[in-house]
Amino acid sequence: MEPLSSFFAVSVILLGIGIYGLTTKRNAIRILFSIELIYNAANLNIIAFARLRNPPIVTGQVLVLFTIALAAMEAAVGLSIIILVSRLNADIDLSKLSKLKG
Amino acid sequence: MLTSPLFLEIVLFPGLLSIAIIGALLGWLERKVTARVQLRIGPLYASPAGGILQMFADLIKLSFKELFVPENSDAFFFIMAPTTGLVLGAALVGLIPFAPGLQIANIEVGLPAFLAIITLSPTLILLAGWSANSKFPFIGGLRALFQQTAYEIPLWLSALGVIMMAGTMNLGQIVNAQTSGWFILPQALGAFIFLVTSVAEMERLPFDLPEAESEIMMGWQAEYPGVLFLAAQGPGFVKLYAFSALFSVMFLGGFLGPSFLPPLFWMLLKTLLIIVLIMLLRSTFPRVRLDQLLRAGWTTLLTLAIINIGITYILVVGFPTL
Amino acid sequence: MTDLLFLAFAAVTVGAAILAIEARDLVYGAAALGIAFLGVAGLFFLLDAAYVGWFQIAVYIGAVVVLILFTVMLVGPKKGETPLGLKRVSLLAAMLMSLLLGMTGALANATAFPGPDSCGSGCDLSLFSTSLLKNYGVPLEFMSLVMAAAVIGALALSKTDRGQ
Repeated sequence: MEPLSSFFAVSVILLGIGIYGLTTKRNAIRILFSIELIYNAANLNIIAFARLRNPPIVTGQVLVLFTIALAAMEAAVGLSIIILVSRLNADIDLSKLSKLKG
Repeated sequence: MLTSPLFLEIVLFPGLLSIAIIGALLGWLERKVTARVQLRIGPLYASPAGGILQMFADLIKLSFKELFVPENSDAFFFIMAPTTGLVLGAALVGLIPFAPGLQIANIEVGLPAFLAIITLSPTLILLAGWSANSKFPFIGGLRALFQQTAYEIPLWLSALGVIMMAGTMNLGQIVNAQTSGWFILPQALGAFIFLVTSVAEMERLPFDLPEAESEIMMGWQAEYPGVLFLAAQGPGFVKLYAFSALFSVMFLGGFLGPSFLPPLFWMLLKTLLIIVLIMLLRSTFPRVRLDQLLRAGWTTLLTLAIINIGITYILVVGFPTL
Repeated sequence: MTDLLFLAFAAVTVGAAILAIEARDLVYGAAALGIAFLGVAGLFFLLDAAYVGWFQIAVYIGAVVVLILFTVMLVGPKKGETPLGLKRVSLLAAMLMSLLLGMTGALANATAFPGPDSCGSGCDLSLFSTSLLKNYGVPLEFMSLVMAAAVIGALALSKTDRGQ
């Protein structure tokens, strides 16, 4: 069995990539990618901690099942917002979305 | 290592070689069955008996055609999408128990694994249709997306009835749970939904909208040349084989049968029966329209699948001796 | 064997995640995102969470990636690609944060997480499903409420008036 630190390293790297994408990219779909990557980092972490504690518990898997379903819903709503924005604005660059600034 | 049972299973049966041969034979059988229904003869010349080598002749012919990638298309996805589909189709067969012990991947969650691999195919078809950079393939890819994602939900829910009856998700244990009676009787509604949705997932008539040859000329496969066309067609037949085998495992008792013949024979016989049934559907029903298809999937089939779960719940909880 | 598999899955996940963020074409980005999800599913298999792994494949690649691809093709792949000027600072911040979290993880690993080799009842499928329905039944119901709300919201957002 791999030690926890190796799974943790993958999770942390995924989180770092997600945060990097979240802060540098301005395309709405790209930002959605980053959010999904962060979700995955969290899921991996939860599963690894639940499996590698002593004794292992199933609660981690249950929690991850919920998270995956939530992430899918978030993607569905987010993508429909993106489609709506692209219809109104012809561009999905978030820095150009300033209509609501008043 | 070369003579270890697992290696032989992967390479010979039920693995790669048998999948290739059975896929080719199914192509021949489909043309023969369709021809018989339409009072024609079908393939005749390319063999000793009834044109049985027709698909191998086609393979030789197609492999001599020029292999090109259309201009302005996305070469990477254009080639990768059908080949990945072929690999995934072969992976499906690896999950099926053909006889006690004759199974490549005996995993605890075999049924969800099968259905999860199936859900990957709309992604690949959408990418294949998009990569050709042409109108009809893209329309076909979008149709595949609508159709397959809509029919995945009733497919999973109808499989849930079997899981409830058997109390396990392992395909071998599902077969063994049917020793006292096949699931086709208590799960008749579930079997019907599963058959309809799996025909839709396989994109076969009457649900072959993504490749409707009379509307959008083979849809997402329209631009594929030579051997790549074969690679695009192949997953259809491999999926037909895998889905029929899964249907007989889930509802017809798989390899169970009278013991004067080996279990493998019963499994293959049931699979062949389902395959011929699906082929007869192809030659007897007209193609449905896209709106009919989506309405049926999201309303009728979904409702029926939920009713089926209710019926199964009553059966499992009310009559635990069954 | 597990070491090699772990290295392969980890490399695929990280590489595909970087490609998903940095690929110029959004379609390639979405496909790379799918590969990254597949890699995470592989890591789930290594952690004896096979059911969650297949669920991850079915939901993330079968639903989320296909939705993203559909949106990318609908919206047009080349839109909204002006990079922000904060690239270096963001990279530094992300790395710093990863380092910090990594140190916390290393500390946690050293003290409390030895991890037995065989999972036992911690990964039992029937225990998992009983736990899901008995201990977490109420959250499950709330989850379906949230799901219904999300579906209705998505439908309301993407509805168009054909007449106009």
